[in-house]
Amino acid sequence: MYVELHSRSAFSFLEGASIPEELIAVCASLGMPAMALLDRDGVYGSPRFHLAAKKSEIKAHIGAEVTCAAFPPRCLRGGFRLPLLVASRAGYQNLCRLITKMKLRVGRKEGACASDLDFIEHADGLICLTGGEEGPLAAALRQDGPQAAFEAVKRLTEIFGHSTFGPSNVYVELQRHFHREEEYRNRVAFEIAESLHLPLLATNGVNYAAPRERELADAFTALQHHRTLDTAGRLLSPNAERYLKSPAAMRALFADVPQAIANTVELSSRLEFTLNDLGYEFPRYPVPEGETMMSFLRERTREGMQSRYGRADAELKKRARRQIERELSLIEKLNLAGYFLIVWDLVRFCREQNILAQGRGSAANSAVCYSLGITAVDPIGMELLFERFLSEERGEWPDIDLDLPSGDERERVIQYVYQRYGQRGAAMTANVITYRNRMAAREMGKALGFDEDTLKRISAAVATWEFKDENDALDRRLCDAGLDLTHPRMRKYFELCLAAQDLPRHLGQHSGGMVICEGRLDSVVPLEPASMPGRVVVQWDKEDCADMGIIKVDLLGLGMMAALKDSLELIRNHYKEEVDLAHLPADDPIVYSTLQKADTVGMFQVESRAQMACLPRLKPERFYDIVVQVAIIRPGPIVGNMVNPFLKRRQGREAVTYPHPSLETVLGRTLGVPLFQEQLLRMAMITANFTGGEAEELRRAMGFKRSEARMKVIEEKLRAGMTRNGIHGETQEQIIQSITSFALYGFPESHAASFALIAYASAYLKCHYLAAFTAALLNNQPMGFYHPATIVKDAQRHGLKVLPMDVTRSDWTCTLEPSAISHQPSVRLGLKYARGLREAAGQALVRERSLAPFASVQDLARRVPELRKDELTTLAEIGAMNAVASSQLPVASENRNINTHRRDALWQVERAVRWSGPLLDELPEIDGESPLAAMTHEERLVADFRATGLTVGPHPMQYRRAEMKRMGIYSAADLAHLPNGRRLRIGGCVIARQRPGTAKGMMFMSLEDETGIANAIFAPDLLQKNRALLISERFLMIEGILQNQDNVIHIRAEKVSPLRVTRAETASHDFH
Amino acid sequence: MFACIFIPDFSVQAIIRFEPELRAHSVAVLTRRPPLEKVVALNERARQTGVEIGATKSQLEAWENLVLRARSESQETSAHAALLDCAQSFSPEVEDTSPGTVLLNLAGLEPLLGPLPKIARDLAQRVSQMELAANLAVAANPDAALLAARGFPGVTLIPEGREAERLGDLPVDVLLESFSSGFSSDAAEVSRWVETFDRWGIRKLRALAALPEVPVSERLGQPGLHLQKLARGAVSRNLRVLEPRLIFAESVELEYPIVLLEPLAFLLNRMLEQVCARLSARALAAQELHLNLELAPTQPNGCASFTQMPTQTPTRTRTPKFTRTLRLPAPMLDAKVFLKLLQLDLQAHPPGAPIVKIHLSADPARPRALQSGLFQPVFPEPEKLELTLARIAGIVGEGRVGSVELLDTHREGAFALRHFAPGEPASKLEENAKEKMSAVIALRLFRPPLGASVTVREAKPVRMRCLEREDIAGEIVWTAGPWRSSGDWSEQEGWSREEWDIAVAAESSCQLPVSSCQSNEREPTTGNRQPATGLVLYRLVQDKLSGNWFVEGMYD
Repeated sequence: MYVELHSRSAFSFLEGASIPEELIAVCASLGMPAMALLDRDGVYGSPRFHLAAKKSEIKAHIGAEVTCAAFPPRCLRGGFRLPLLVASRAGYQNLCRLITKMKLRVGRKEGACASDLDFIEHADGLICLTGGEEGPLAAALRQDGPQAAFEAVKRLTEIFGHSTFGPSNVYVELQRHFHREEEYRNRVAFEIAESLHLPLLATNGVNYAAPRERELADAFTALQHHRTLDTAGRLLSPNAERYLKSPAAMRALFADVPQAIANTVELSSRLEFTLNDLGYEFPRYPVPEGETMMSFLRERTREGMQSRYGRADAELKKRARRQIERELSLIEKLNLAGYFLIVWDLVRFCREQNILAQGRGSAANSAVCYSLGITAVDPIGMELLFERFLSEERGEWPDIDLDLPSGDERERVIQYVYQRYGQRGAAMTANVITYRNRMAAREMGKALGFDEDTLKRISAAVATWEFKDENDALDRRLCDAGLDLTHPRMRKYFELCLAAQDLPRHLGQHSGGMVICEGRLDSVVPLEPASMPGRVVVQWDKEDCADMGIIKVDLLGLGMMAALKDSLELIRNHYKEEVDLAHLPADDPIVYSTLQKADTVGMFQVESRAQMACLPRLKPERFYDIVVQVAIIRPGPIVGNMVNPFLKRRQGREAVTYPHPSLETVLGRTLGVPLFQEQLLRMAMITANFTGGEAEELRRAMGFKRSEARMKVIEEKLRAGMTRNGIHGETQEQIIQSITSFALYGFPESHAASFALIAYASAYLKCHYLAAFTAALLNNQPMGFYHPATIVKDAQRHGLKVLPMDVTRSDWTCTLEPSAISHQPSVRLGLKYARGLREAAGQALVRERSLAPFASVQDLARRVPELRKDELTTLAEIGAMNAVASSQLPVASENRNINTHRRDALWQVERAVRWSGPLLDELPEIDGESPLAAMTHEERLVADFRATGLTVGPHPMQYRRAEMKRMGIYSAADLAHLPNGRRLRIGGCVIARQRPGTAKGMMFMSLEDETGIANAIFAPDLLQKNRALLISERFLMIEGILQNQDNVIHIRAEKVSPLRVTRAETASHDFH
Repeated sequence: MFACIFIPDFSVQAIIRFEPELRAHSVAVLTRRPPLEKVVALNERARQTGVEIGATKSQLEAWENLVLRARSESQETSAHAALLDCAQSFSPEVEDTSPGTVLLNLAGLEPLLGPLPKIARDLAQRVSQMELAANLAVAANPDAALLAARGFPGVTLIPEGREAERLGDLPVDVLLESFSSGFSSDAAEVSRWVETFDRWGIRKLRALAALPEVPVSERLGQPGLHLQKLARGAVSRNLRVLEPRLIFAESVELEYPIVLLEPLAFLLNRMLEQVCARLSARALAAQELHLNLELAPTQPNGCASFTQMPTQTPTRTRTPKFTRTLRLPAPMLDAKVFLKLLQLDLQAHPPGAPIVKIHLSADPARPRALQSGLFQPVFPEPEKLELTLARIAGIVGEGRVGSVELLDTHREGAFALRHFAPGEPASKLEENAKEKMSAVIALRLFRPPLGASVTVREAKPVRMRCLEREDIAGEIVWTAGPWRSSGDWSEQEGWSREEWDIAVAAESSCQLPVSSCQSNEREPTTGNRQPATGLVLYRLVQDKLSGNWFVEGMYD
């Protein structure tokens, strides 16, 4: 028998070519009982390795190769990697701390190295191997010969312990990859082992699961060393022998040293530790003397209940009390009081700091969460399913996600967590960046030595639409990029691209996931510095943490939360009104009429093209309709064909029926059509007698990536349960169909309700405080479905005046200014919209202006030295300097702005940036006015879009309207008045392209003109025929059939051609 | 007055010049090595069909009638040389401005060649006779002529004093493209100029010319003012006249054809002495020697080794020619050495037909001037070294002599041959280190490896027989290996091999010393024991792609 104890996975980032699951699969097929994973400087792949091994009943040993700079005083001067295997939990904790220590000692991108002192401090519970060609033995042998190698191994025995009688903690490693040099090293290793009485250990230094993966490993090697395959030379491996070999092959290879094979089994039996034994504990919440965490939680819940349900009717109060008691008992039973208190503490901190925070996800199903102020939706009033949040059978931590305003405020909450639980007690979860088509195509191209132009072309050609058909296959895309895949080298390139798919590339940081721990988190998983100063990140991603039972709190930054908060502040300062989001008028008629008209650009969750296409049919009239609206446009309901039946029933065009009479209570609210996850879980509970835990298992199978097999098992259970309950035939099929279609993503009702609250708030603010809401939206970009250019145009169509950027008026962010002609303030575009203008320079300008107005362009350039020439030029180009430039002109001061144009400012900027020295500094402009001609409207458009991405002037289409009319092109606003089925032409600026995975290859496109937005649908064949045109053109003319169903207007495209409107670089928001 | 000849799409025209039938086709010129060829130049027809610069070869498959050609630097050089010839045939003052562009001074030519319009027409006609379509412009100063030639198609005449008016219609881009190298070598800076003019709305030269000078100087500095003057057609300068090439050549027309090398050497010696004397008189040496032999046309079949070298004008004569060029590593001036080198070269490359005319020319260069260090070892004289190398090349063949440089690859024995040039000797320290690293056992390689027939049992060679040498054969009594290596899998010429170190019972004198061969035991694995007494050790290699076996070498 043989156990492979030295292997790397792709989590050694560019040093391994197989994912842990693949290694385990091959290990299982070879009949190996155990295997060890030793990734470079971390345990990144160990959770996936552990879980895969568990399924295959293989023992997964954990370890790492730790980079070391030198062993003083004389042996081993150069760097090497020390392979360490974990024997016990203490060893695992030591390994994690050792890696954390070395990683946090240096910056994120600097190479971390451990010292011999680090090893001495953390040696307990670890077993050391002498390594392969990168190990200490080989390094010493290369540098100074056999004696140095002997000294190096001796030093290892001093560090890791060596007993003459008991088992040794140092194993002399032998590897055979059919190299002569390696055999020489093995001979030296024999002698060292013999003289130091150390056991020999055979390993294969595995870098990939199968020989064919050597090619990818070579490509990774080239990338790692910033070379190409042609220039990497001997950095590449000499052969393909570093694959996972069978015990028989290894026995044959080491037939002359059978003890080296036998020792692998012996050592494997010594390695007791597995990740089952992680030792993670969630932190305890500190409570006052005489209180327990549970009593403290009860008290806080009671207080919260008073304020939440104080004014509710007796019946609701009674139900709430009963539900809260039920939840508290379960929380006590599952010992989760600490967790709830910690989340409560975070929410309390947010409240104290005036930071908007709202729980989302299944936490909204809990009355305790509602009472504690974690969530904003009343689960009792809305009859939400508690089991969706917490169940006794599940044995899992509940999932509480907090939505926070993105940006600084979220950062403050994150820093609070660090401060509360210590730098070593809390960390962000990682985000493993994996190779997808585009990155694989680019990186493998680099490895093959493609030039930058070719790489750019490939990146542009590789489609990342959500929907993919045969035309989107990578080979087709590469052909479109002009590559000849029949050429053998290109074929190889294509194979490499495919092989790299889904392999980890590097570690990023998850946007909001935080893990916290009782005691030291660095004993549970190694920590690394994050790119943002003051943050650390664990080596595992969100899924891995969940799989390992580590609890996380998601502190998610939501742009809309930040926009809402900013809106409130602007309303307070400019409208002199106080708006409380918690107490907005519940049934504002303007809000509902706006929603019914689908006039929703900028509104949270209801602004997308698909949502707009649904709103006029659903016609929301009350809050619950918005909850439905938010949930209905999701892959689950769409693929499950639930959208149309629901809308028809709502419009009274179809009778409300139920798949089974027993489901009336569950589906009553949604007219017999299941739309929410909870409903499906309840359906399973009612029709197939699923317990809460089984229902949760069903939920996890739904939307879970690797769930097909799980779903099959559950489906059988469902069928059996339904048959037992006498539900057969078509009814059974219908229920199964509803449930299984939710294997694609769908919303839980609680989550939809939380989002609906924000959606309503955003709609309310847009309808009543358009200026404040628009400024806040613009200040929190990027977010939502539309580009700022579209948001500005939409706001202007609603009567808002958007003022251009002006260095004498604009702040860094967009601000409000009182309007002389309207009660509604105007929005002044902020300096942040000047592309390339650094915030520090922008703020310096604002600061200097507050001291004294700028007398001239030269004065501005002199007083704000932070502004570079390109920044001044940009400001001048977009007209932001016109007001200052006019002061230099020899015209009467009251007529100043009249004659000034952007090129006057540009002319002056060019002189101001060429400082001629103090002698000539005060010299006035000789000829005052610039000789340059004013920009034409086309030039202004080009400059606006190039430098700000938007224009506050007329829409480009407005300049061409007369021409468009001659061409028979209708405007977006015309379409509502034209009969259904009419063939016509529309034209405009492409603002969104979308090819959803659920739309059977259809492509949706939104065109904007000065009157509004028109939508077009392209069938797959038309798309294929006009692919380049549709993907790259900025302005299009589309000919097709008008479809107007219940005021939802589309053009079914039949013909498309480019439209020459402007050279301005307008942007489209394309959804991939 | 000055004239400018500008050949638009020069890369394409240089190719069409040799294939005039392509004139009626859309032509795209590609560059870069396969499979990443890209379009770098197009003719107007191709441009009209929508082909763009930068398109890849496979993207061009959609264009059915598009002719693709690889960029040819030699054809461009020839075309440009022809252009220069043409210009020089009109005027003694010619400037070699850039590939496809020449300027010439027409001052004083009117009495000789007629009025300026006629000269312009004649020039254009002469260029078109060389199968090149040119824009031609005549103006009072060279830069105005250059701008007009680049900007206006056909023949343009700008009367003196009307430069600004005529050039005013040209786009600013023409100015920046024409003179960017004059004011900046940095492409980024040129693009900044383009951006600045674009922002200012300066699109035509007229607008640039109209800007007031002092403010322009304040904003754009002297380069800006210079550009403005160029835009006005007001820059006056002298041509950077192409100096006539110093020609050191001798020719002999023979009354009777020569067929033997010896009389040829006699004549060559005299010619070389003349050339060397002329070079010496100007304190110059020879960098290259060109020998052109005109051969008797009676034996066309004997001219197998004729080398068709490009000449400045395409030859119309049917007389066979034979050309050899000697490139010297350093400028030399020794007629005897030159003669010996030419003799060696002609021995290796005989003309193959009787010689009727000899033309010998030398490219001049400054003679080598260097002083050796007092403690530096004496290297051979470059002349002698070159002679020796030429002798060796004469024996082993061209391209088979030089310094061997190992390539950075796992491929066994992969090397490249560089021209031999003695370098600094290795330091003692390095030598010691090399000594320390050197193996105690030597491997004598067979070049090329000897093909072998091998019997394999249980994945190991057990018997072998060399196909080319009967003495290398026998039972394999000991093996070490296999040692596997493979690589270049991304290339068509990927390789994979397996090496075995084997011991075969000795039948010849190549026996191992008894002390190193003590065991007769067969070693089943990777061979960590010594082979048996009286054995010969070989390196046996199997090419895993073809399956063929070779004996690659023998261990001492």
